[in-house]
Amino acid sequence: MKPIGEPYRFQGASKYVLDDELAKIVNVSMALEMPLLLKGEPGTGKTMLAYAIAESLAMPLIVLNVKSSMKLLDALYQYDTLTRLNDSRFGDSKRDVSNIEEYIRMGKIGQAFVSDCRTVLLIDEIDKADTDFQDDMLDVLDQMQFDIMEIDKTVTAKNRPVIIITSNAKKDLSDPFLGRCNFHHIAFPDPEMMRMILNVHFPDLSEELARASLHTFYRLREFRGIEKKPATRELINWVRALQSDPDFAVKTLENGEIPYLGVLFKKSLDLNLALQQAGRARK
Amino acid sequence: MFVQFFYMLRERGVPVTPTSFLRLQKALSLGVIGSIDDFYTAARSILVKSERYFDTYDQVFAHYFRGATISEMGDVELTDIAKALLEEWLKHPQEMAEALGLDEEQLSRYTPEELIRYFLDRLKEQKEAHHGGNRWIGTGGTSPVGHSGDHPGGMRVGGTSRNKSAVKVAMERRYRDYSQEGPLTEIQMSEALKRLRRMIPHGARDVVNVDKTIYETMRNGGEISIVFDRRLSDRLKVILMIDNGGWSMDPYIGIVQTLFNYARSQFKDLKIYYFHNTLYSSVWLDPQRHLRPEAIEEFTRRDPETRLIIAGDAAMAPYELMGANGAIYVGRKDSQSSEERLKFLARTFRHAVWLNPQTESSWGYTWTIGAIWKIFPMFELTLDGLEKAVQHLMKRH
Repeated sequence: MKPIGEPYRFQGASKYVLDDELAKIVNVSMALEMPLLLKGEPGTGKTMLAYAIAESLAMPLIVLNVKSSMKLLDALYQYDTLTRLNDSRFGDSKRDVSNIEEYIRMGKIGQAFVSDCRTVLLIDEIDKADTDFQDDMLDVLDQMQFDIMEIDKTVTAKNRPVIIITSNAKKDLSDPFLGRCNFHHIAFPDPEMMRMILNVHFPDLSEELARASLHTFYRLREFRGIEKKPATRELINWVRALQSDPDFAVKTLENGEIPYLGVLFKKSLDLNLALQQAGRARK
Repeated sequence: MFVQFFYMLRERGVPVTPTSFLRLQKALSLGVIGSIDDFYTAARSILVKSERYFDTYDQVFAHYFRGATISEMGDVELTDIAKALLEEWLKHPQEMAEALGLDEEQLSRYTPEELIRYFLDRLKEQKEAHHGGNRWIGTGGTSPVGHSGDHPGGMRVGGTSRNKSAVKVAMERRYRDYSQEGPLTEIQMSEALKRLRRMIPHGARDVVNVDKTIYETMRNGGEISIVFDRRLSDRLKVILMIDNGGWSMDPYIGIVQTLFNYARSQFKDLKIYYFHNTLYSSVWLDPQRHLRPEAIEEFTRRDPETRLIIAGDAAMAPYELMGANGAIYVGRKDSQSSEERLKFLARTFRHAVWLNPQTESSWGYTWTIGAIWKIFPMFELTLDGLEKAVQHLMKRH
């Protein structure tokens, strides 16, 4: 570890708008060498943050997409028995069949450990896995090492990765898990912040379109009964759709008409509700 | 350093561990915290592990670093107002009626919940009108309403601020919406109800059982013998009974609707019935409670393993619950009291809960809630309550 105040200091990347608060938390977590757990509504940029950190720190990013059926071992390493069986029967590879180590493949966490440079390790949607997975994983991340049973070898991290963990769950994770993480909850961006996000994605966005689309967007989020509210990603796609439509004029939005609702609402039930409520608002 | 801050957080119910406190000390000694603003964010990320406590953290922070009293007059919490209001109401009903612009008789018909709602509506009007209104409400200020808003699951009314001092940010109480008592959204509900399931092998044998296959293959002397199993699928039966009648449930329509929507999409074997206030000889399959009644006795024919969830505020006049002829509908004769009917259901389904949208602290105000509580385990229709209810429903008796 380099001493504090070294060049690893996170300030936000080109496509990610970072608020000060978040930047501070990332820095503190890096200094304390603790994983940072990010929670927040979908579309608040949890996953994007890890990409942005990797970009601004110029470190490679390793993404572990957690799945419900995942075992911790899958994330650490895999012993490729099938290839070994194949090699032993047909023997047409250059691998040494008697050397098991040649058949060990690193999982995502393993890759982050053996990497020659410091990496950003994103563990995405941890809430999908069961509690045992979560706790065991933190043991590994705490000690920065794990054993490969088959060859009785311990893998120790060459460089401690910057660990970002995301969770969509509203339910809390287990206490031991939380105890070992720093925690931050990303609130849904307010209009002002969202404006900055739009500016990053559309540098030449006209003032009036930005205002009108944001106004409409936040109004849409207030619609009742919507199961999946449109989030940042939907807004960006929507603005892109508006921009690319030659027939579109900002006036349309100001008149209360909303084109391309389907871009914003992904569920048919939501879309129907939104159409109804948008129609009512116009009258 | 900041030991008192640590204890204050604990006193206010934020689960701060000593380990995390030591970690904060480490962060301080590392020199990554250069200002009070840094301290605000760093300490929160290290000490507080759930957004539900962010609000409390903000309050304690503001109090500790600025000496602001935890509930200043301009920033009184709604719940505090509500509590004071109820006390006031019990002591001086007449004055209260005057202050709210109602006559005493009207007021006496209100339940505590309705009174609070009425009061909040008044506050909102006042905010929109931007003039003083009467003094009693005026002291409450506009800030409680302005900040907490009133749409379920909604975000703060004001915008997230930047370039402000940490104390000011903390004073803004940005996370009030996330605090534990916040309204339930569908996502939260799905998280809580996810565990309500009963996995049973079902359907064709089309899943390979690896362990058994290996075992059988070995027994066969290496000749491969594949063992198939049935797939596990959720066969949980759920009956949901919803109180959709009467003004006393009106404030909770939104939340019950959410529960209803979620249940319909989640549970494969779900029956929804409606009732008004409490159960008499039948419940209805149609929300109008008119066309398709189903007699309570019929429920004995159901699978006793069915999970019964009743959602209602359980608030009514005592005779409605206890009288053998208590139904408030004219012309309906019942041989048994509603209480008997409820007991009958509780005997029929051993996995049953009553979800009450009112907050647990207010249950004591209504006699019938207590009476029903004795029959069914009752839980708040909040995130915590729902989780407890699910635990109860999945318990093996």
